[in-house]
Amino acid sequence: MTALLAATGLHKRFGGVHALRGADLEVAAAEVHALVGENGSGKSTLLKILSGQLRPDGGTVAFDGREGTFANPSEALRRGIATVTQETTLAPELSVAENIFLGHRLAKRVGLVDWRRTRRLARTALDRLGLHIDPATPVKRLRPDQQQLVEIARALSVDARAVILDEPTSSLTDDEVEALFAIVRRLREEGVATIFVSHRLNEIFALADRVTVLRDGRTVGEAAIGDLDRPRLIHLMVGRALEEVVAPETAVEVDRPALRVRGLRLPGVLEDVGLDVGAGEIVGLAGLVGAGRSELLESLFGLHAASGSVQVAGREVRRRSPLRAVRDGIAFVPADRKRQGLVLQMSVRENLAMASTARTFRLRVPSAAREAAAVGRAMHELDIRAHSPQLPVSTLSGGNQQKVVLGKWLATRPSVLMLDEPTRGVDIGAKGEIYRLLLAAAQEGLGVLVSSSEIPELLVLCDRILVMFRGRIVASLTRAEATEARIAHFAGGHQ
Amino acid sequence: MTATTHVEDRRRRRLVEHAAGVWSATSRYAAVLVLLVGIFVYFSITQDRFLTSANIENLLTSVSILWVVSMGMTFVVLTGGIDLSVGSLLALTGLIISQLFNDAGLPAWLAVALAVLAGAVIGGGVNGVLIGRFGLSFFVVTLGTLVLYRGIVNIWSDTKTTYVVSPFVDGIGFGELIGIPTPIWIMGATFVVAFVVLRWTYFGRDVYAVGGNIEAARLSGINASRTLILVYAISGLGAALGGAIQTGRLGAASPLVGEDIPLQAAAAVLLGGTSFLGGVGGVVGTAVGVLFIGTLQNGLSIAGVSSFWQQVVTGVILIAAVAIDRIQQSPSGRFGRRADAAGHGPTSTAEPRREGE
Repeated sequence: MTALLAATGLHKRFGGVHALRGADLEVAAAEVHALVGENGSGKSTLLKILSGQLRPDGGTVAFDGREGTFANPSEALRRGIATVTQETTLAPELSVAENIFLGHRLAKRVGLVDWRRTRRLARTALDRLGLHIDPATPVKRLRPDQQQLVEIARALSVDARAVILDEPTSSLTDDEVEALFAIVRRLREEGVATIFVSHRLNEIFALADRVTVLRDGRTVGEAAIGDLDRPRLIHLMVGRALEEVVAPETAVEVDRPALRVRGLRLPGVLEDVGLDVGAGEIVGLAGLVGAGRSELLESLFGLHAASGSVQVAGREVRRRSPLRAVRDGIAFVPADRKRQGLVLQMSVRENLAMASTARTFRLRVPSAAREAAAVGRAMHELDIRAHSPQLPVSTLSGGNQQKVVLGKWLATRPSVLMLDEPTRGVDIGAKGEIYRLLLAAAQEGLGVLVSSSEIPELLVLCDRILVMFRGRIVASLTRAEATEARIAHFAGGHQ
Repeated sequence: MTATTHVEDRRRRRLVEHAAGVWSATSRYAAVLVLLVGIFVYFSITQDRFLTSANIENLLTSVSILWVVSMGMTFVVLTGGIDLSVGSLLALTGLIISQLFNDAGLPAWLAVALAVLAGAVIGGGVNGVLIGRFGLSFFVVTLGTLVLYRGIVNIWSDTKTTYVVSPFVDGIGFGELIGIPTPIWIMGATFVVAFVVLRWTYFGRDVYAVGGNIEAARLSGINASRTLILVYAISGLGAALGGAIQTGRLGAASPLVGEDIPLQAAAAVLLGGTSFLGGVGGVVGTAVGVLFIGTLQNGLSIAGVSSFWQQVVTGVILIAAVAIDRIQQSPSGRFGRRADAAGHGPTSTAEPRREGE
């Protein structure tokens, strides 16, 4: 096999962080090559080097027989490597055709844009993907999956020999994922190499020909997909076998629920949502990105002015607001830890005490003694690994940061604990610990409502899983009924 | 690795981290502090008239107005804002004192107390409410109130200076207690109160939390709107105190005073290492920044350098100080690398954001 793309011994440092320390990747033409690894394993750094956004500190990159790294993204594009990222980089106000040729405008001889040729070539590129839309449509009118395809069309319009797809499926329904996979397979027939990144292992087994595994900035394995199975792949990613967290069967008092929601509406987002979370019960929220899971939790926390009835521990909570959340017994661990969860410059102690002391008289002195109970307990019970609670929370690892957010809310002694993507950006080891903490919280009688885009996570944790589709709860599955396939079926809008 | 070396290793690392923390907390204004000491020594050697008790007293009283305004401004900058209206509010305070004392016939102490209180109420009630409650841009709002208050002052005073003849008001400008001028006492008091509030109250913590990450602060149940309103009230209070000192120094309320105060105060706060992005810094740095500006201006004046050249020097040093801030915040320690490194390197090193930690 001759490699179309060969990266060997790549090194990259960011200040004190050694993001890559000897990463290799070899991709052949007409191959779908999956790149997997935990968060922080160096995947995105490697991709950024291949797409010319970063230059390595050491190591070599050879593409199509030529050595040398790319000075910038447009050089990578010129030499035939195109990237489609998770966040679309399209200009929403411009037309599909303009977006496809963004950055390499087709000019007439006098320097004006050749619109007719632009549209004709755009048409061809779209047809190649089986996307039947008018190239003159503004991109903002397209569905997310169509936008993704426009990005791919843009990648192909430069005659790319290799396409990098970085988590392309996170906002797509099952059918849309299938359609995307069909396109990737067609590209493979045309001889295009695809580097495919996804955290959904079943997608990797469905699509990839070969897999490269990164761990701690190093390539730890490379194999044909047929030589691997799920446990072996996880073992390679994590570096050890994963301990299974098993949730105990819980006796749930559903007659006196910790949280009762009836007729919750948020125009255009939530439609008549009703649910119960019993004291001691863990309820999961499944659904695609955009199904309204986050908005539901945020509405219950009072971030959106949703109408409807919400009861916490039997008491009606009318004016919901983060300011009243502590008093009302509602806790919310948001999805974006760095943006919404923590004040990164502040110490672990100050972050841990932030919610439980939010109602304290403001001219009181924040004494270590007053906060010692909450802080000490959190540090100990949640096993937060920090040299000292005085250190800025930014110095902790992702998993420990997430435990600080969790500890902050557990210190308020809530009745209901809501979490949005509780293990995003957390390595698999810390995931297990967070699961255990949630199970322990439920056993102490909290009602736990977890939203997650990782279905396996919900299957491990939840007594019951509610599936959302376009702002409605369309299915409620018990632990016995729930399977990954069944949840995906309902999440895609099927009955 | 054996267990003992592991423990030693951790202990050593903790020590290094602690040392690094102390250094980086002071290093936010260390460069300006070194410069301050440098120019102080330089002027002491080259200018006979610099290092005399009369001149030091003069230096301190001449920065007293900037000092109290900058102390209030520090709270605003810590939340990531800037209060451009402090100069106009300062002039307005003088006018309120004059009106209450001369026209309404109130006792001087009451006129001053009410005027200072009014400064806080106006600062919090207008800037604070518009920015904190309605989420308007601090820049637009305080730029608007800068012009608005100055306009009110000009209309109300008919652009005339009115004298305030009162022993009490005179005492604010020129009085002495145990040999130390009143303005210096006021400087000391504002510093101590500001330091204590920022360092040892939950409100102080709110200021840093709101400046560091307002969304996370809100989602933790902190009343961010109220924090912002209070911060602009404190800035108004500082401006009004400055107005009271100004009135005392002039013995009159002038509609022209305070025009260069907002930019000078912002310069002093930023020189003192408080990040204009918020969440990092404090009043010790601001004190250093004010003293630096004051010493520079005082020394250059004694040396016979024109005030225009003083402006040039102050401007260059301000830009240099902000450049230092930028370099410190960049993970790789260089310009231009920030965008690349975003999301990879640690977003912040072990850097306590408050002074003295």
